[in-house]
Amino acid sequence: MIQVKDVTKVYGPTMALDHVSFEVGKRQILGFLGPNGAGKSTAMKIITSYIAPTEGSVTVGGIDVAKDPISVRRLIGYLPETTPLYEGMQVDQYLRFCAKARGLAGARLNSRLDWVVQQCGLEEMFKKDINQLSKGFKQRTGLAQALIHDPEILILDEPTTGLDPLQIIQIRKLIQELAHEKTVIFSTHILQEVSSTTDRVIIINNGRIIADGYLNDLQSDARGGAQLRVALTAGRDEVERGLISLDSVAQVNVVSEAEGVVTARLRGTDGVNLRREVGQLAAARSWPVMEMGVPEVSLEDAFIEYIRRSNEQHGKEARHV
Amino acid sequence: MSNVGVIFRREFRGYFDSTIAYIFVVVYLLLNSGFFMSGFFLSGEASLRAFFENLPLFNIFFLPAITMGLWANEQQAGTFELLMTLPMKSWQVVTGKYLASLAFYTIALACTFTLPLMVTSLGNADPGAIFTGYVGAFLLGAFYLALGIFISGLFKEQIAAFIVTCLVCLFFLLLGNDFVVAGIDGWIAGFGSFLRDHVAFSSHWNSLQRGVIDFSSILYFLTMPALFLGLNAISLERRRY
Repeated sequence: MIQVKDVTKVYGPTMALDHVSFEVGKRQILGFLGPNGAGKSTAMKIITSYIAPTEGSVTVGGIDVAKDPISVRRLIGYLPETTPLYEGMQVDQYLRFCAKARGLAGARLNSRLDWVVQQCGLEEMFKKDINQLSKGFKQRTGLAQALIHDPEILILDEPTTGLDPLQIIQIRKLIQELAHEKTVIFSTHILQEVSSTTDRVIIINNGRIIADGYLNDLQSDARGGAQLRVALTAGRDEVERGLISLDSVAQVNVVSEAEGVVTARLRGTDGVNLRREVGQLAAARSWPVMEMGVPEVSLEDAFIEYIRRSNEQHGKEARHV
Repeated sequence: MSNVGVIFRREFRGYFDSTIAYIFVVVYLLLNSGFFMSGFFLSGEASLRAFFENLPLFNIFFLPAITMGLWANEQQAGTFELLMTLPMKSWQVVTGKYLASLAFYTIALACTFTLPLMVTSLGNADPGAIFTGYVGAFLLGAFYLALGIFISGLFKEQIAAFIVTCLVCLFFLLLGNDFVVAGIDGWIAGFGSFLRDHVAFSSHWNSLQRGVIDFSSILYFLTMPALFLGLNAISLERRRY
């Protein structure tokens, strides 16, 4: 649905995006994750044709954004980082304006208006001036604007900033529901947001994509190979010696030793082999297994690990120059 | 064309969302007719000549206020990004906004119609000259406003847009001034006269005030605004790079 090929954007001396490429398929939700100023907004602005890339190309629904931006804009509903509202207007006037500007009219306009107002929970605010709305309702009005023309693609730049926890949950739920029939790209610097809304994540730092994949893969990749946590009822020395002799085990760290139970953390190359061999060893030696499991790496850990690696890389290159 | 209409309606309505529009029209009328009336009974002449004579200078301080916010406000509210990602061409957005400002000015101008009514009831006014005078006032407004919207697009603050628009309008006005023309001619022979004849609006404005609607005047007052609007649309497109 969306193809970004080798896109670079230079603002004066700063490189906001540095040869970025990725694709988003139909009905996928993609979360853009990254620290502030990493290039998330720039990438979204380029897809919506608000700005043009310095190099590279973007196609949306098979249409080249540089050649036919108007057709691309028809496919996209966009909520920029600063909610674009006319403070002097009422919610209904504003949404009608957005609908007409998108070519809606008559019965179709009214039915779409009813739908977005209901979906975004704006019934009570329909006749209110926008400047009287709370931050949460302003954000929902902005979202309603992006949905009014029933676009195939939704691009939401930090859709939940400034909302309270209840509103955040509502917006997330709405995004998930929308993704059944739409392609959604949203950005955030809040990690829970990604894990609770989507599977596919792109992590951007310093204008580069430093990770692109499914949450589980990214988490295990950040762990650096497979890990296993195991608790066995046996002597510390024989456990250590036994475990390190296994082919799939690269490293053994004893975490604790209490009441005859030794808890160790293993690092290895392959998760399945690691578990099988440890299980076979325990059975052969008749060591009762008290616990065996994959230690949880949170998304925070994965994120921080990626950013650390990327900054290290960045530092190295900077020194070479 | 419907795209232009959608933008026009929002923008035109936007003028009346705040009380500033009403204050603007009232002050415009009070000052305009005040200046006119102060000399009207002394001159003992049943014409609007004095009213139209003041207008080019008068509008320099009023019309930039109509256009100064056209782009600057969008930038500040974040709605600029919304407008620029609508499925419309830049020129359509520009034209819609411009026509809204022109409609607003036309209303303010129409409110001065009490003056010709008064003048014709008091004496033997020339209705033809009054008519072409108003045509000129409308076209002059179209000129200033087009210049104003273009300059508004170059600034993020409306005050900056206001001041620069005033100065550039004043520049065009002065190009038709005999002293300025003579001064420039003294520097570069013939250049001042060239600017007066081809760039300044004074000759076209004067002929309209004499009751003459010349083809070249109409052409001038159509091409100059079209040029500024085109520049505005181009500057919006250039912004993307």
